[in-house]
Amino acid sequence: MNQFNKRHETIISAGIDIGTSTTKLIISRFSLMNVAGTTHVPRIEIVDKEILYKSPVFRTPLLDASTIDTQGVERIIRSQYAEAGVTPSQIETGAVIITGETATKRNASEMLHHLSHEAGDFLVATAGPDLEGIIAAKGSGAYDYSAKSGKVIANIDIGGGTANIAVYKDKKLLGTCTMHIGGRLIEFQNGIVRSISPPIERLLAEQGWRLQVGDRADSPAVQQVTDFMASSLARILSKNVASDDHVLLLGHTPSWLDDVEAVVFSGGVSECMYQHELGQVQVAAYDDIGNQLAATLRQNGRLQSFEWLEPVETVRATVLGAGTQTTEISGATIQVAPHELPLKNIPIYQHDFMFDLQQGLDLFDSAISEAIALYDSTREGQNFALYISNLPYMGFRDIQSLSQAIIRLMEKRPDPSQPIILIIQSDHAKVIGQTLVAMNVQQSVICVDQINVETGDYIDIGKALDSGVVPVVVKTLTFHTS
Amino acid sequence: MNEQLIEQITKMVVEKLQETKGKAETRKSDEAMPVNLFADAPVGQALATEHPDAGPAGAVTFHRTTEQKQPAATSKVASADVGACHKQDATKQSDAKETELAELRKKTPARVGVGRAGSRPKTKTWLQFRLDHAAAVDAVYGEVPDELLDRLELFQVHSKVADKEEYIRRPDLGRRLSDEAKQTVLEKCKKGPTVQIVASNGLSAKAIEENLEDVYLSLEQSLRNLNIDMGTTFYVDKGRVALMDEIGEMLQPDVVVMLIGERPGLVSAESLSAYLCYQPRIGTIEADRMVISNIHKGGIPPVEAGAYLGTVIQKVLKFEASGVSLVNKEG
Repeated sequence: MNQFNKRHETIISAGIDIGTSTTKLIISRFSLMNVAGTTHVPRIEIVDKEILYKSPVFRTPLLDASTIDTQGVERIIRSQYAEAGVTPSQIETGAVIITGETATKRNASEMLHHLSHEAGDFLVATAGPDLEGIIAAKGSGAYDYSAKSGKVIANIDIGGGTANIAVYKDKKLLGTCTMHIGGRLIEFQNGIVRSISPPIERLLAEQGWRLQVGDRADSPAVQQVTDFMASSLARILSKNVASDDHVLLLGHTPSWLDDVEAVVFSGGVSECMYQHELGQVQVAAYDDIGNQLAATLRQNGRLQSFEWLEPVETVRATVLGAGTQTTEISGATIQVAPHELPLKNIPIYQHDFMFDLQQGLDLFDSAISEAIALYDSTREGQNFALYISNLPYMGFRDIQSLSQAIIRLMEKRPDPSQPIILIIQSDHAKVIGQTLVAMNVQQSVICVDQINVETGDYIDIGKALDSGVVPVVVKTLTFHTS
Repeated sequence: MNEQLIEQITKMVVEKLQETKGKAETRKSDEAMPVNLFADAPVGQALATEHPDAGPAGAVTFHRTTEQKQPAATSKVASADVGACHKQDATKQSDAKETELAELRKKTPARVGVGRAGSRPKTKTWLQFRLDHAAAVDAVYGEVPDELLDRLELFQVHSKVADKEEYIRRPDLGRRLSDEAKQTVLEKCKKGPTVQIVASNGLSAKAIEENLEDVYLSLEQSLRNLNIDMGTTFYVDKGRVALMDEIGEMLQPDVVVMLIGERPGLVSAESLSAYLCYQPRIGTIEADRMVISNIHKGGIPPVEAGAYLGTVIQKVLKFEASGVSLVNKEG
């Protein structure tokens, strides 16, 4: 009997993290297997993840303060691929993520898409402060701890430029928050302050502390800044946002409602706390407030009131998360036009049927118009993926009326010849896809299911694998401004 | 008292119990008894109130394959009614316990963590059990409405079995067509089709009643899309799976698909299975048959199952094998 389940295929995944201070890369291999019983419709899942190669930690190459050295980054990646013994064409999934202050650079978006194109067959471009936190939490082990312990766990990934907080309970994301806390926000050179980043300048001005470029590195203001960062972080974690904390907030205030019970620190500053990488080859060297910040965080009384858990990865948490935790596998019964794949950076529009087919169909027209207005306001032909959620129980005739509506509405797109991309929450992709084909739909159809997304997400859909499923990466693409 | 009345009363009592419970602990009620999900499909036409409110995926995927983004809402469960003697201190603890049990109950339709009254199940649990059991019995003894077969334009024939009692006692007779049936099949059916579809009530007429139309129409569409030729579909009353051997012998199709009602259980009384075999003939061994089971509202949605069956048939035809032989050939 086991014969049915033994066969499995493997895919190679890459994770690349281009952060404020450092760039690193990871190559891993996923094993996919049918985990459903022999008499059931197959269910393909990733059953094993094996890390094949971890790169050293490189300094992120910059041309100047506001431009990333794209060629430099590409050189690092090419050399590391060579070291790992893989070629870009072998990379079948994975993500390149641009994190922290690097995402605010002038050419961030351009470089990211260039890399995702150059560095792999299906390598996904991702960015966004919330996503950074989510991916880091998965790489640091906080996500897994949350299921094992049942506690509300906050992962705080502190790199060079930002601290990304993601709060999990039982593997469920409760909320996120991003702050201007990082090692590289004040840099030193020969014991002298070399640079102060704009958010810290604002903090200094607000608090009336005196620190400027050229001051001594042991100036009391530096300690004041790290003290403030630590206590501000403690306040944010307990959702008591004080008015002077806003200067350190990037984006929204804490979005979780539960009380955080335990904390996990990851990122470069966490490396200063735990020294996992001690004795390993260090390409990058730092001369900034990172160490001092790490020490202050450890000593802060309010932070100590949380339970501290040691991360499984420190500086590499994000790259590990990007390389091993971003890929999902679609349902096994789907309908995809192979020549249209891979599809990248497709924005999602959700239409919720709220378990009522007729009502859902009545609102369908306005939903599609809204989707077009949202993603293609200039009517240039930016396609989108329609996510159909909360369908009621559907008979064959219901599927037919739904499919008819889809065909009719997809004609309304500015460029109707584009493929119809559907993501169905429930297990209906095959039948809806087939029904569209049976109705002689003119466009190619990509219809996948059992993926959870929402409006505002982006999706990348890879080529169909031998087992008939497609790898899917759900992500965000937000390049914040500093 | 007639059976339908008893059924109706039982249903009313269960509903009443749910209602009062719902009032006492507002938010808990829907979490407390996940088994209700599976009783949403009561048996018998007398019960007009079917409301499958949850999406088919939500109801029965025993585990999630994808992560779901949850709105950051906390659902604090009202205090559980177990530790009445030491209320104050135990409240928080029993809260946590109740949440944990609710979490476990979500993972299975089995009756776990439903509580007890002394050494017995609670009335609600017990009635639910009786209701599910009755539904299972009804499914076995029920009949498929002619109206359904007419709508799908299926003609009906009988196996060698005379009645339900004999059907249960003599599986061998359920594997053969009656003499009259043989004649009808030979008269009405296309010979040597690529795919011959046969439907039979088997052990659950309810399975056919609920699922046949959706599976069949979806399968038919799928085969048409794939340009696979289909024979004349018909319905056999009181058939068994291996009846396909005789049909294979008579009509010489490449593949027989048998859509048959499964032995009902306490989770679902309306589960349909699709048995497939490449060139079944008298003497075909069981290892060459394959099955897609668990086709019902709470399992694989029937429409999706039909669509999937088309691709399975395509594979069977490609490798000219089914069951274990297919797995071996696929390598």
